Amino acid sequence: MDGVHDLGGRQGFGQIDVNETEVPFHADWEGRIWSIVQCVRSSDWTLDWWRHVRELIDPIDYLARPYFDSWAQTHIAALIDSGTFTLEEIIAGKSATVPVDQNSARTINDIFGDIEAQAYRFDREIDAQPAYQAGDGIFTKQLLPGHHTRLPAYARGKPGVIHAHHGAHVFADASAQGSEEAQHIYSVVFEARDLWPEAQNKKDRVFLDLWESYLDPA
Amino acid sequence: MTDFDSDKVSKIHSHLHSHLPSESALRVKALESLLVDKGLVESATIDAWVEAYSEEVGPKRGAHIVAKAWTDSEFKSRLMQDAVAAIDELGYLGKATAHLKVVENTDQIHNLVVCTLCSCYPFSILGIAPNWYKTAAYRSRAVRDPRGVLKEFDVKLDDDIEVRVWDSTAELRYLVLPQRPEATQGLSEDELAALVTRNSMIGTDRVLSASSGGAS
Repeated sequence: MDGVHDLGGRQGFGQIDVNETEVPFHADWEGRIWSIVQCVRSSDWTLDWWRHVRELIDPIDYLARPYFDSWAQTHIAALIDSGTFTLEEIIAGKSATVPVDQNSARTINDIFGDIEAQAYRFDREIDAQPAYQAGDGIFTKQLLPGHHTRLPAYARGKPGVIHAHHGAHVFADASAQGSEEAQHIYSVVFEARDLWPEAQNKKDRVFLDLWESYLDPA
Repeated sequence: MTDFDSDKVSKIHSHLHSHLPSESALRVKALESLLVDKGLVESATIDAWVEAYSEEVGPKRGAHIVAKAWTDSEFKSRLMQDAVAAIDELGYLGKATAHLKVVENTDQIHNLVVCTLCSCYPFSILGIAPNWYKTAAYRSRAVRDPRGVLKEFDVKLDDDIEVRVWDSTAELRYLVLPQRPEATQGLSEDELAALVTRNSMIGTDRVLSASSGGAS
């Protein structure tokens, strides 16, 4: 989807706040929403679907509202979509149903275990042989699907070289639509001069991790 | 059940835009109250998650990995070969690090990490990403104007140093291994870890000081 989230190379966003205080959360509500997202979800989601729900936020809200606010809106929208609660319930801030049986609250030691358990793996065994190996030249596709994709606009239709093959991983575009299929995935290196008209330095390069169906042989 | 239907979700977003309170804190409070009311979570569990990321799961883990790589050459070679197994030795494998790669700065190479499409970050070893990492300014510029970005962070690079930008477009995550500061031969692993800044592990810091740091 050619959305406002696809920010690589866009111009006019100004300077970076390099003096930000180094704390994990800048307000209580940021820590609350981070934590809610870690521990409440619908069992039929995929990570890529959640990312896509975030990409579907109104573009003005996406750019103008605080970062963790977009997490709150994404999580609320995805939980409504999955039937966990209704729009009316979130507006009221009260449940219209009887509470489910509660487990006891988790301790910080439980949480350390939960964080370890979030080392989710996305590699899969597949029968197909990789089409490319390190050193091969490729062109990225121009094709833009209307849904979630991880081939950014700035790297479409560009020449690159396979830097490394990482086996097969769950394909994000399909996963965002609820189906799991795996494809070979590669780190692909692009010369900055092939991506940006103004790039001068011959040494600068950009590396992206790209699935095989994003690529054509050079 | 989730329908994976973009149009349906766009409509939900539109309703939320119209009906949710404008203030972020109130939105999050409404969500927490509703989830507690439904019995889906306890507020004490949320407290524990906040505490975990405030006290323990943060860039000091990354700094430990870096300092160990500086002092233990066998650990370093394991880290460069198979970062996932190496951080698992330290008990740091977890959220978003099951496909971790370590990229090493040298005299000739500087590495910089970004996620242009969202905000991917190796949470179990660096904790919560800084706000600037998630802003449109950083995400748009890091791939196109990395030297300009680095200059804003007061990192001065000679033209003959290669800049490698890693855009986290899939589930691989990147940790930059910064160069060990000069004149630190006698320091212990813990003392060295105290010199490693969070930004040096993202790539927005380069020359570490032998006397100050570091990741909290």
